Amino acid sequence: MEFEFTKDGIIFEKVFNDLDDFVFGFMEILDSGNIGYVIVSGYVSILFGRSRSSEDVDMIIQDLGLEGFKKLWDKLLETYECHNTEDPIEAYNEYLKTGHAIRFSLKNNFIPNMEVKHPKTSLDEWVLENRKKTVVNGKTVYISPLELQIPYKLFLGSGKDIEDARHLHTLFKDKLEKDILEDFTKKLGVGEASRKYLK
Amino acid sequence: MKTPHIDLKELEEQKKQNFLDRLKFIDQYVQWMKKQENKTWSTQQKKITDKK
Repeated sequence: MEFEFTKDGIIFEKVFNDLDDFVFGFMEILDSGNIGYVIVSGYVSILFGRSRSSEDVDMIIQDLGLEGFKKLWDKLLETYECHNTEDPIEAYNEYLKTGHAIRFSLKNNFIPNMEVKHPKTSLDEWVLENRKKTVVNGKTVYISPLELQIPYKLFLGSGKDIEDARHLHTLFKDKLEKDILEDFTKKLGVGEASRKYLK
Repeated sequence: MKTPHIDLKELEEQKKQNFLDRLKFIDQYVQWMKKQENKTWSTQQKKITDKK
């Protein structure tokens, strides 16, 4: 296994699976528009080798304003379809601005979905601001810092989430910033789960 | 049809044990990953994730 850790993030190579292709295709459009986003879901553990798939990938994007969002919408709809509405104004005002997510999939496919939302909580704002650059096969994706991702998965608490946390922690425990990990573990109230499930 | 008596405590215990076994499997899998070239683990991951 070869992961290169740099000041900015992580660089590695892998054979892309279908979900990787879906995610990196979507991110190329965001990057071409220089749009701030971060992936926060279980896909982070799948990116790093977890042996499961997912029907949706959660991401937070910066608020682009209605006009900026309409430009992004037009670009996205060349390749993807939105499952909530066909109207970008409704998508922006009735979904994103009210804290709800909108879902995109490749045209004529229902899954996998990219579940897109605006930052709603202080944690959402923090993760968008402190996203980690990950370069895979020369392509960039921004992900939640692992020091947050691991305790947050314990906070979600399903079997699948705990397994995701265990996978990331076992894989990267020597590389994690311990003080940040401990801070989030404390703030999310998952100290007991951390002692129980993370070695 | 006569159905068996179900000991829920026993099933809960089994569920808990299965989960702990899953976590041990994840540890073994990650240890295996660490010893492989990226091409090897990601090719095997692709077989699982792309299964239709």
